[in-house]
Amino acid sequence: MARLNDDAQWIVLMGFIVSFSLFFLAIVLNQSTVVGQTTAEGVLEFPKNDIRDVRYEVLACSDLSSAVWGEVQKDMTSIAMDRKNAIVTFNITSAPPGSTFKNIFDIHYNNGVTAYNETANY
Amino acid sequence: MVNSDGQLFTIEGVAAGLIMLFSAYLVVSATSIYTPGDTHISDMQLEQLGSDALRMMNTPNTTATTGESLLQNITKNNDGVRFKETFLTFCNSTTGGSYDNLQISADLFYRDTLTNSVKQFHFAHSRNLTGGEHAVRVTGWVHLDLTGGGSPLSVAAPGIDPRVQAGLMEVLLWRD
Repeated sequence: MARLNDDAQWIVLMGFIVSFSLFFLAIVLNQSTVVGQTTAEGVLEFPKNDIRDVRYEVLACSDLSSAVWGEVQKDMTSIAMDRKNAIVTFNITSAPPGSTFKNIFDIHYNNGVTAYNETANY
Repeated sequence: MVNSDGQLFTIEGVAAGLIMLFSAYLVVSATSIYTPGDTHISDMQLEQLGSDALRMMNTPNTTATTGESLLQNITKNNDGVRFKETFLTFCNSTTGGSYDNLQISADLFYRDTLTNSVKQFHFAHSRNLTGGEHAVRVTGWVHLDLTGGGSPLSVAAPGIDPRVQAGLMEVLLWRD
């Protein structure tokens, strides 16, 4: 084409530009499937619900005697290790006399990726 | 030396180069086919939905005199049918008229002090698991007071101790 006839170079150039923009759009469309993957994996990996659930169950032991919540703690430790591959322990001590709180909760959660330690007064 | 000859040659050369690069990219990327399921976005949404449903069931109704949550009540009474119906109603409700198509299979895990082992008790299912489902797992701790051992769960679940304990309700959730 070049040398044979030098007319219409602009038209040829525009043709190239249009076809390459189509290629580019195809790549953009192709990549759209992976949008949100990192977000989704981040949400899945972070044990938000597990931690909240452990807290909820530990705080439910508030009114129990130490012998009773000791067994509940053994339940949670065994089951969490067995089913969730997570270490869960907690300890409940009475708040010092004169305190506005009743109990002090020490809660520990660790699944190898996320560790959560809390001392809560209730 | 510098003139405007050979412009089309240059353009053709650049175009050919880009086409070759693009072809190479297509060939290399063709070895892995990436589908929306690989991005785990639907898994994440399903897991959040399931966790929320379980949490709703495990929140005590303050008007109830016992202070017991629906999940505690259902578990203690070994009421698999009610569990299935409640959970699926929470999960399958949409803002439109039609219901979603989620299915569940739930198991309760508890510790047997006699053998100090974790035991499994199948609680409820809306469809049999065949192994082909792409299920996500949601779990919730259930605070159980089985003192006395007379509850339907104590009778049904083998080796469950008659005491206050924490059990783990594990729900497999998938879209059918």
